[in-house]
Amino acid sequence: MSRLIRLAAALAVLVVTLAGCAGANAGASSQTLKWGFNLPTSWDPVTSSTGNDINTISLVYASLTQLDEKGTAGPGLAESWTYNADGTAVTFVLRPGLTFTDGTPLDADAVRQSLLRGKTQENSLLKDQLATISDVTADDPTHVTLHLAAPDYQVPNLLAGKTGAIVSPAAFTKDPGAIPTAPVGAGPFKFESFVPESKATLVKNPDYWDAGDVEIERLELTAGTDPTSVIAAVQSGALDVATITGRQVEQAKAAGLEVDVVDSFTVNQVDVHSGLAPLTDRRVVDALKYAVDRQAILDVTNGGIGNVTYQPFPQGYVAYNKALDQAYAYDPAKAKAMLAAAGYAPGSLSLTVTVNSVAQSTAELVQQQLQAVGVNATIKVVPPGSSTWQQEVYLGRKAQFALDGTVGRESPVQNLGVVYGPQGLMNTSKEASPEFLAALDEVRRTPLDDPRYPEVLQNAVKLGVEMSPSFSLGTSPRIAVRNPRVSPLPHFLSQYRWEGVTVAAPGSRA
Amino acid sequence: MRPRVSTVLRHRIGAVSVTFLVLVALLAVFGPLLAPYDPLQQNQDALLQGPSAQHLLGTDNLGRDELSRLLAGSRLSLLAALEAVVVGLVLGTVPGLLSVYLGRAFEWTTLRVMDAFVTLPFLVFAVAMTALLGNGLTQAMLAVGILVSPAFYRVTRAAAFPVAGSQYVEAARLTGASAWFVLRRHVWPKVLPAVAVTTATTLGSSLVIVSSLTFLGIGIRPPEPTWGGMLATSLEYLFPRPTAPLAPALLVILTVGACNGLADTLRDVTGVSARSSRKEKVRAAA
Repeated sequence: MSRLIRLAAALAVLVVTLAGCAGANAGASSQTLKWGFNLPTSWDPVTSSTGNDINTISLVYASLTQLDEKGTAGPGLAESWTYNADGTAVTFVLRPGLTFTDGTPLDADAVRQSLLRGKTQENSLLKDQLATISDVTADDPTHVTLHLAAPDYQVPNLLAGKTGAIVSPAAFTKDPGAIPTAPVGAGPFKFESFVPESKATLVKNPDYWDAGDVEIERLELTAGTDPTSVIAAVQSGALDVATITGRQVEQAKAAGLEVDVVDSFTVNQVDVHSGLAPLTDRRVVDALKYAVDRQAILDVTNGGIGNVTYQPFPQGYVAYNKALDQAYAYDPAKAKAMLAAAGYAPGSLSLTVTVNSVAQSTAELVQQQLQAVGVNATIKVVPPGSSTWQQEVYLGRKAQFALDGTVGRESPVQNLGVVYGPQGLMNTSKEASPEFLAALDEVRRTPLDDPRYPEVLQNAVKLGVEMSPSFSLGTSPRIAVRNPRVSPLPHFLSQYRWEGVTVAAPGSRA
Repeated sequence: MRPRVSTVLRHRIGAVSVTFLVLVALLAVFGPLLAPYDPLQQNQDALLQGPSAQHLLGTDNLGRDELSRLLAGSRLSLLAALEAVVVGLVLGTVPGLLSVYLGRAFEWTTLRVMDAFVTLPFLVFAVAMTALLGNGLTQAMLAVGILVSPAFYRVTRAAAFPVAGSQYVEAARLTGASAWFVLRRHVWPKVLPAVAVTTATTLGSSLVIVSSLTFLGIGIRPPEPTWGGMLATSLEYLFPRPTAPLAPALLVILTVGACNGLADTLRDVTGVSARSSRKEKVRAAA
């Protein structure tokens, strides 16, 4: 009998031990998140070539500042900052004891070296953004001062994204060519492995300054998921979170998945080149602004998700100017009258609508809307490829009327510069009024905490919208489908963020 | 043996293939007239509707009638495939014939050029050509035509080579016949069956390439419908319209199948051997 009791006791201990092991394993695996998203064009913030990369680059790098949910700059690696009296220098105070994932200290000198690399490295794509910074000095291990070429209170915004992502000097000094595929930063995750065009694996960085808010232990980033099968991928568990279009929301919900619609900085717009006839006539350009039914575009191409807007910012953001709410409300009769006043009878005006291959439906819709006001539009599809759009629209400036969009920038001044500035990538006309440039300069000279800041900024937006031949169409919220075991994603205008996101065990809900 | 329509029609697969291809050709010519609606007319009150009495194949994401678009798309898809075949036929057959007659320098040069073409992938080359020459189906299919030309070159050369050295051609030359006469009278009839078989198979493969390119959005001039373009759009809306890809996909599959069926029949009735003798192969490829 005693042998039986001993055997039973041993079995009980074994069962409890195994159960404990299973529980531990379940706990570890439950905090693994599989995310379907585009891999960055480069893991080096200095050579990354698209704005969209911030979503993935920010996994491994922390920036000096960080945008909050509303897009306002707040503490990041720097816990505070102060400007000098005339706004020509800003000193950031770093958190004490910061380290990179390679174990080297992240101090003021590391920040200095990292920012200067962005200014000086031959193939740096951050040179323009960092042009406002003339020099960087490390005052002591936790104080770094940025000396500016002119008063510019936008620097904390500017440094909240790729521009302010700090790379380990030990890593880029040793081999700068390795950073695009083996990044070393101080972000929420540590880089573990990377297969180009396929996947990247990251593990939680316990030394991240905000590590307490990061629950995910392991993040697997998978690229190249076909849009038509992305929902099936999440449903099957191959992915936990992925981006979908508004048209797929219904399907995702029907599959029992959760959907997060998160407002973002992305705004679709038409790049109008006023240097190409017949768009040299301002009356024609203005007529086109009234001829496009923005709500119909949202309804047909994105399942009604998003808001009509006439400015390059979403509602709720500090730059959003309510006075522009009905600026160019759809009015085909008015558009027709304006074209007639400009001397164009129905059918006598022709133009080419340029579009990339993924937005073809939008072009076809716009073509019919233009037809309704008597404009003959021909659609030109730009073949897929990383440089074809640049050659056709941005650099080649061959497009009269290009269906485009901005993913936004951390600094609203930077975004206005890109969209409306004389050298702005999306301003294919390359013209800007002196009034707009003066207003933009005033924004730079206005501290972010000045009560006048929103008014000054919104005034610049209004001048830009009224001046520019280009015009906005609608916002494009970030739509994520997620497995119910993943908790809701936080709503940040600027990018995907993972603070506070938890992953429950398979089969259970977060 | 020269291919005759009556001989082809006596074969069951040949008859079915020819009948289907004639139907498709008729669709390409008269399709737009048969279409119940304007294939370009959008209707935002009838987006993504399923098949009904009003719209037999339903409507697409912009409310356009799918049947009308399918009929209208036949012409563009077939013309593009034909363009590739004609370009390949001219660029392959002419040098293939001439390589037998114009001496070793021309022969060596054309063989190396054809070898180079064979190494290029169809889709990538077509995409590169559209990036260089502009995004149009004409440009894309010109590229495809160039790349299918080696097939015509090789079969033409392989068929012409033994004829060129035959005794009756020698005899014709000795009696004073011109090179053009010899080509037209003695060589071409021997080459024609092989070229006919290659034309049929190339038409099928070109149609697949056209559909692939238009599926990827290359070469399309919206809102012109193409089978590949319709297939791509329908796949984006599988949830509300799960049957939408069937019609364009089936049309592509059946047309390609008919081309291959015709090629098989032509091969059988003309006696073109799928395998030329080793000796001929070696000489033709030399």
